[in-house]
Amino acid sequence: MSKYRLIHRPALSDKQPFNASGIGLTALPEGHVIHVLAEQGADPSAMLKGLAEQGHSVRYAAPGQWYIVGDEPLADDALAALLTRLTPHAEGVDQSHGRVRILARGPMVERVLAKGSGTDLALSAFVVGRSTTTLIGHIAAHITRVEDHAFEIMVLRGFAESLWDDLAQMSAEFAA
Amino acid sequence: MTSYRLPKGGLIDRQSPLSFRFDGKALSGFSGDSLASALLANGQRLVARSFKYHRPRGILTAGSAEPNALMTIGSGGRTEPNTRATMQELYQGLEAQSQNRWPSLDLDIGALNSLLSPFLGAGFYYKTFMWPGALWEKLYEPFIRKAAGLGKATYEADPDGYEKSWAHCDLLVIGAGPAGLGAALTAGRSGARVIVVDEHALAGGSLLAETASIGGATAAEFARQAIAELESLPNVEVLTRTTAFGWYDGNVFGAVQRVQKHVATPKDNVPVERLWRIAAKRALLATGTEERPLVFGGNDIPGVMMAGAARSYLNRYGVAFGKRAAVFTTNDSGYALARDLEGAGVELAAIVDSRADAAIAWSGKARLVKGAFVSDAKGGKSLSGISIWKDGKSETLDVDALAVSGGFSPIIHLACHRGGRPVWSDTHSAFLAPTKLNGLSLAGAVKATSGIAACMADGAAQASALLGELGFKVEPATFGAVEGDIAVPAAKAVWSIPGIKGKAFVDFQNDVHRKDLGLAVQEGYGHVELAKRYTTTGMATDQGKLSNVNAIGLLAEARGVSPADVGTTTFRPFYTPVSFGALTGAYHRDHFQPVRKSPLHDWAAKNGAKFVETGLWYRSSWFPRDGETSWRESVDREVRNVRLNAGLCDVSMLGKIEIVGADAGEFLNRIYSNGFAKLPVGKARYGLMLREDGIVYDDGTTSRIEENRYFMTTTTAYAAGVMNHLEFCSQALWPDLDVRLSSVTDQWAQMAIAGPKSRTILQAIVDDDISNEAFPFLAARDVSLFSGQLRGRLFRISFSGELAYELAVPAGYGESVADALMDAGKQHGICAYGVEALSVLRIEKGHVTHNELNGTVVPADLGFGKMVSAAKPDFIGKAMVDREGLVAEDRPQLVGVVPLDPAQAFRTGSHILAKDAAATLENDQGYVTSSCYSPHIGSTIGLALVKRGSQRHGEDVMIWNGLRNEYTPGRLCSPVFFDPANEKLHV
Repeated sequence: MSKYRLIHRPALSDKQPFNASGIGLTALPEGHVIHVLAEQGADPSAMLKGLAEQGHSVRYAAPGQWYIVGDEPLADDALAALLTRLTPHAEGVDQSHGRVRILARGPMVERVLAKGSGTDLALSAFVVGRSTTTLIGHIAAHITRVEDHAFEIMVLRGFAESLWDDLAQMSAEFAA
Repeated sequence: MTSYRLPKGGLIDRQSPLSFRFDGKALSGFSGDSLASALLANGQRLVARSFKYHRPRGILTAGSAEPNALMTIGSGGRTEPNTRATMQELYQGLEAQSQNRWPSLDLDIGALNSLLSPFLGAGFYYKTFMWPGALWEKLYEPFIRKAAGLGKATYEADPDGYEKSWAHCDLLVIGAGPAGLGAALTAGRSGARVIVVDEHALAGGSLLAETASIGGATAAEFARQAIAELESLPNVEVLTRTTAFGWYDGNVFGAVQRVQKHVATPKDNVPVERLWRIAAKRALLATGTEERPLVFGGNDIPGVMMAGAARSYLNRYGVAFGKRAAVFTTNDSGYALARDLEGAGVELAAIVDSRADAAIAWSGKARLVKGAFVSDAKGGKSLSGISIWKDGKSETLDVDALAVSGGFSPIIHLACHRGGRPVWSDTHSAFLAPTKLNGLSLAGAVKATSGIAACMADGAAQASALLGELGFKVEPATFGAVEGDIAVPAAKAVWSIPGIKGKAFVDFQNDVHRKDLGLAVQEGYGHVELAKRYTTTGMATDQGKLSNVNAIGLLAEARGVSPADVGTTTFRPFYTPVSFGALTGAYHRDHFQPVRKSPLHDWAAKNGAKFVETGLWYRSSWFPRDGETSWRESVDREVRNVRLNAGLCDVSMLGKIEIVGADAGEFLNRIYSNGFAKLPVGKARYGLMLREDGIVYDDGTTSRIEENRYFMTTTTAYAAGVMNHLEFCSQALWPDLDVRLSSVTDQWAQMAIAGPKSRTILQAIVDDDISNEAFPFLAARDVSLFSGQLRGRLFRISFSGELAYELAVPAGYGESVADALMDAGKQHGICAYGVEALSVLRIEKGHVTHNELNGTVVPADLGFGKMVSAAKPDFIGKAMVDREGLVAEDRPQLVGVVPLDPAQAFRTGSHILAKDAAATLENDQGYVTSSCYSPHIGSTIGLALVKRGSQRHGEDVMIWNGLRNEYTPGRLCSPVFFDPANEKLHV
């Protein structure tokens, strides 16, 4: 089977981008998502800052936990190198296929997400770069404000289609 | 003689006429009308029949407390019964139907009930219809239900959408009347995040019915300008048509917004109602007051109206509520209406003031009668006159409209939703809100402040103070001078009116009259909670907004105590009815619950899978082929093929947890009852997890991938629970251990490849040597696939009892890898198999699932006694697993069970009886936990938990299904029906 051509199938491959005047939904490329788990008492902030300066996007996940995300898949050697860089402060777990990222962008994005999330997402309360884990309707998701009017929504792969459908419904009133 | 539209005035748009129908009759109104104002403008006074006596009823109020004018709006799936005409905005083509009448509103046969009213007093149904008892359900109750009631819900599906939304603010202002606007302007100008909610379409509250001016503008124009300013501020959100219905923990308020209830054809992409959950750092209740009715004879005749409502119809809607009117008041507010009526050219026959010492000056044309009462109203479907009682003498006055004002009750409902009780004030003759409300303050009339200027100033001051607590420095807003302001001093409440002859209603919606309350006290139901249940006062859709205070006053008089001693019934959400649609939101039909899809879902679908919901997962259940006519036929084929050749099953739904850290091994050793400390790298082990009480919690395999990296699988059902359990153990029980956890359930597409040809098939894609020598039973490690194109994790574990593997690959490649395996396995006879075949295979092998791990069993019950380590110093469950009851000899133990006659079957859940025992629960010996048809055995087989089961192999028993009355002679046996020596696992 050495010539067998493996096909990567994104979880949201059947979903077309949703574009409306107030809100747009886009499935982000299934690049890489690394779950960073710091050793208790360790301070990996300098290491994470260094990664961020080198172009990695770092998202806070929980006390002692972060996600490193990006649009490009990591080859085995690149992944291994990144995991090695995390040590000794932290361990990394590859979640590149387990988490799906959706970009919600537009002037009505806060209104759309407020239909599912109890988090206060006003710009004054939830600044660019801030992340949290919240329910969007019945589905748990990790959201990060990436621009004034844009959020990255990260969800378990198995729920990705369902969340997309919910978000599309929540966005419907802002379609023309 | 009736109500009519004035030639000018009001906030309606006379350039925008609207046509509508009431009981099929074509009528017209204007944009800006409510259904109630439009009906009145058309002279339609009779709008409803009462609940019990079917008495003619008219419009009593202009707001949400309306007890009478309940109508059914719309048709088909959009039918909405019990809509208050006073809250329904008029729109083109609106169809309204009156309720609880037959054959028509004008000629209602049910009105005969009035003739029987002497026999239909409070609690009549507790005393009558007692015999013959059999007729209650068949005759009496259906008849009573048919004869009384409100509107009927439709059976058709609602075509419209609903949704829920959260909102957050520094200050929530509830009510946009004088106090609310004063507060909102103060807060809005400060830059604080402000939300203003008002239940009406037009914000302004009482200002919309006022003739006073503020800063030179009319009160209504002031309100319009204030709202325009607020809506222009980016930090302020004004939600009209939005009723705040509840106050909850965390200072969260529930509110329902009627987004599209005022349009003829709702837009498909916009909800008709939106349920808000508003989290407010501070909230200000500026809900004003409710005017009280007065309890006199015939006070429910159409044409009798609350004075404030009559003023609202006059000034806001340009509708006069009659041509020759009278005002009956206990306080100064009635005079404002009297002045406005005369100003609008409506003939005012008299002002009847209960106060002999009323000090207010009256210079109008109407006669003023002080120290007098309206004792009775006359008329049938429309008011024709009133009786005025003064000093023991009665006179009759011909009028077609009567406005009444019995004082004011602050609308404090929300302030009482979190446990606080209303407090009676003799000074204000009213129940006031409790004090020390955490996060909620009151402003304006709701705390008995009177007058526009005073209420606006109070709202502004309250907002300033509340925002000051949050760090905003803002001065209270100031407003121009108020000309024509009326401050109404508190007046003594009037509960009982002398000289009454007719039926005097306390609760209009439930047809409770004053004698009913007297009867309640007389029969021992004088406590306010008992009186409510006995008389039904304060029940139904209006929840006694108008009636409760009068009922309490009358109960107090009857008992000879103060209203403070009677108290109120408990105030609970919802303030006004909330539709099921709003409560459901968007979560119905396809969005009822999330769908969780395996990465192999599409692979299964294209192979023809039939899916079954397992929790939120959609699992492939079986894969029918052409010519197969039943699920059993497909499943039997799949089972045989796995045992003969090979099969591929999607097991991605199993919980998968990656455990890393220097102490991960020690952590697992404490989590599982069996040993994990010495698990070598590259090996998997089956583990049992116990609860603290020694009962089995979950099972699964855990593999050591690297020195300090483990890969745990859990059952599908307990995946989230086990993750929570591990987090708790890590964070709370053993924070000293270096253990870190990550759920990787969704990272991996995992497939079981089972059957004697599985190795051959797998080897076609796995680059590493997976021979028995190189990759023996329970081997587990990362492998290279497709000549290095991909890395996966391979586990040689078996749930089927066959030579088997589980291969995990990154989820995005799952479908492609499964396709490759099916392609490679085609020549070897591979088939896809589903969860049904999986279940048959595991039952044949005697493997347990949560059918057996049912929350009552310990390891020894399952034959896993050796998996409880005696050597380990501690693990979860160790302290309790040896309790007396858990080691008793007669505990249920796992056994196999087969029918004596292979042609006979039995069902899961059937009970086990000793062979000749009677079929009673006392003789119950255990039950069948799992069963299936086994193609291998050629009959139904089962696993069962049976008393002393492990010692009873070979014993004949009776398998009894009491629900279906089925008896199947059977025999207990080993739970392992297939390859008991486990030879196939090791080939």
